[in-house]
Amino acid sequence: MSLVDSMSMAKPNLETREKILAKLKGRELVNCFQCMKCTSGCTALKFLELKPHEIEKLVNLGLVDELASSDIIWTCVTCLKCVQRCPQKASPYHVIIALRNLAVEREAKVPEEFMKAVSRILETGLAESFQDIVSRKMETFDREGLGLPKICFPKESFQAVFMKALEER
Amino acid sequence: MTQKLFQARLWKAARMANIGVYVCHCGLNIAGTVDVEKVTEYAKGLPEVKIAKHYTYMCSDPGQRMIQDDIKAHNLNRVVIATCSPRMHEETFRKAVAEAGLNPYLVEIVNLREHVSWPHAHEPKKATEKAKALVRMGVARVKLLEPLEKRKVSVEKNVLVVGGGIAGIQASLDLANAGFKVFLVEKSPSIGGRMAQLDKTFPTLDCSACILTPKMVDVAKHPNITLLTSSEVTSVKGFVGNYEVSILKKPRYVEEAKCVGCELCAQVCPVKVPDRFNEKLSQTRAISVYSSHAVPKVAIINPDYCLRLKTKKKEVCGKCLQTCEAKAINFEQQSETIQLKIGGVVIAVGSEVFDASNMSEFGYGHYPNVISNIEFERISDASGPTGGKILVPKTGQLPKTLVFIQCVGSRDKRFHEYCCRVGCMVSLKQAILAREKIGKDVNIYVCYNDLRSFGKGYEEFYRRARDLDINFVAGIPSDIRMRADGSLYFDVFERGTNKLLEMHADLVVLANGLVPSNDIARINELFHASRSADGFLLEAHPKLRPLECSTAGIFLAGACQGPKDIPDTVAQASGAAAKVIDLLSSGEIEIEPLKAVVDEDLCSGCRVCESICPFVAIEMKKEEVAHGEKLRAEVVEAMCQGCGLCSVACPTGAIKIQQYSREQVVAQVDAALAEAKGGS
Repeated sequence: MSLVDSMSMAKPNLETREKILAKLKGRELVNCFQCMKCTSGCTALKFLELKPHEIEKLVNLGLVDELASSDIIWTCVTCLKCVQRCPQKASPYHVIIALRNLAVEREAKVPEEFMKAVSRILETGLAESFQDIVSRKMETFDREGLGLPKICFPKESFQAVFMKALEER
Repeated sequence: MTQKLFQARLWKAARMANIGVYVCHCGLNIAGTVDVEKVTEYAKGLPEVKIAKHYTYMCSDPGQRMIQDDIKAHNLNRVVIATCSPRMHEETFRKAVAEAGLNPYLVEIVNLREHVSWPHAHEPKKATEKAKALVRMGVARVKLLEPLEKRKVSVEKNVLVVGGGIAGIQASLDLANAGFKVFLVEKSPSIGGRMAQLDKTFPTLDCSACILTPKMVDVAKHPNITLLTSSEVTSVKGFVGNYEVSILKKPRYVEEAKCVGCELCAQVCPVKVPDRFNEKLSQTRAISVYSSHAVPKVAIINPDYCLRLKTKKKEVCGKCLQTCEAKAINFEQQSETIQLKIGGVVIAVGSEVFDASNMSEFGYGHYPNVISNIEFERISDASGPTGGKILVPKTGQLPKTLVFIQCVGSRDKRFHEYCCRVGCMVSLKQAILAREKIGKDVNIYVCYNDLRSFGKGYEEFYRRARDLDINFVAGIPSDIRMRADGSLYFDVFERGTNKLLEMHADLVVLANGLVPSNDIARINELFHASRSADGFLLEAHPKLRPLECSTAGIFLAGACQGPKDIPDTVAQASGAAAKVIDLLSSGEIEIEPLKAVVDEDLCSGCRVCESICPFVAIEMKKEEVAHGEKLRAEVVEAMCQGCGLCSVACPTGAIKIQQYSREQVVAQVDAALAEAKGGS
């Protein structure tokens, strides 16, 4: 093997790297030249243990296994700022999404909140559940109380399509 | 000379100055700080000043016309122009007054910009006072200036090109096509230089030999080019336009006219010799043709190895002699000295590749699998020792992991502080070649510091390398270690990932930088071509005169002036050729009259000036006097650059620089001190 991370003793997994590159439009990740613009503008930077450019470089070097099983890849809020600004069209967003897909494929542990969001979408079609509003006088209102229209939940056909899409992955 | 001086003195006694003073605003560059109106008013009050004016841009067409009109209208015979540095516009104003009929050397430039407004921008009042003082000094000096004439000397239309690499080849072809006789001197047995050793060239991946060899053949065939290989310049005398050059042509022990380059001799020669063209990666014979595309394609015997030449015995070996059908071999051949009359010189001696064995940390020279980038070129070249297959030296196998290490010997204060300007692109090219030749099975890494891909098409080339899965590791290893099987490993801290990576490689290529040629000290001595701090030859001006030496008539092309890639080298070579054409095409050159002159009566012949002159412009002449012989200094006008060292050193005051005589300088000093003493 040509390279080892001296701290974790992790070795590159070039096969997986190739898999991730295949998921990108044009293997564009290889073009990253580490200007670190993505990290400079990252919305979720405060919550990240690894910076976007570091994720980018680790995948490029093939050190993907550790990443695919870590929580780090789930922190991205998908604001797509890095996609807009990347000078090499190699933004970490697509890489992170590819890593998430890989994690799911490998049945790695997905954060609970994330799973909750998925089941909410399945049930309600929405990523967030409804919350009641509390006024300054500490009165609680629901949608009905505010005179807002009722929400239509998705039909069963949506759930079938959604499940099918998940299985195809 | 005495007569000339006498005339000048007479002229001085008879004159009455009519001085015009012109103060330039230089937009706001000067007027923003200096009160130009006050300076003008002050100038009007100075003795013998007839007229004083100020204007926004004195160098502009209306500004120049104003001066010209005043010269005619007020019969001015001296002009002081208070403006920017004389380096900028002295020549402009000299031309302007000459057009109005005044001798161009009767102009004095006072520098109000670089000497006043720029350095004193924060203190305008004091700046104005300083400007007044400088104008006062200029007026005091201008009165004593003497009219001078430019002299013309005829020139030889022959050009010497030193070095037969791509720079020398390009310059020779351009000059020869323009009708000049060119003498191309190359110390190796073949022209082609560094470029001939390269496999392919960035960023287009043209085969180096395919684009170079036709040019080499053109040189050999051109009726205006005399090609002198295995030759060195041994002495240079004379001055711009009229050099006398001696060239030593070393014996080949093979007659060039007879040898057909069949190489049968090399097949029978029993003595093995490390092949210099292949960076000693393979062996050739004591008699051999320098390379497969050598020009001239003529065999040469290495006298350090040839059995007969070493033992000097006629009965030894002689196998080549028996084999050669053309009867070209001649063990009696002697070296030959060739004398040439030359008008201009193009120096194109190129550079060397840094020797990384000076650097212990990478193990170059100890670890067989650590090679230099120039060795990689030979390994990758189809005419090289492996027939173009990239093989690991120790195992003879294809490498599985190939690592390039950048900035070896460059950007390193222990060796060379400068950036080698080619290392990044060379490694990118070699990485791409390795990917193309070996395919997907090799991991390729480039350990770099900054990746510099600045030329036309270079950034795209860098992207192409990344597209080909060449991985870039931002960090340089501190040392390399070797395993018993010859494979290598090292730690490198990667700043992109913030991780310490342990890397394992079976072939490491060091991106060695370019360093000054081994001959550079000799070239410096022979041609009085100065060197810059980095050891390369120094151009006359880094921006505005990049193709010439400060010594007139000597031009620079290629990597002898600083590390360069092929496109830049060829551009500079064509530029230098054009400069030579510019210098010599009219058949004569004008020589500035601001030179040293010797007062024969005062010269004691002590030779101090001769020893101190950096341009070797002083010759000592013997003269018959009443009581025997006397030595006297004489200035070779065409070589004197008017630096003034001799004038300062002369113990009797016999040698002076025109326009900077003692009285002229003293008048300026007196004027400077006049105000300080409280006078006017």
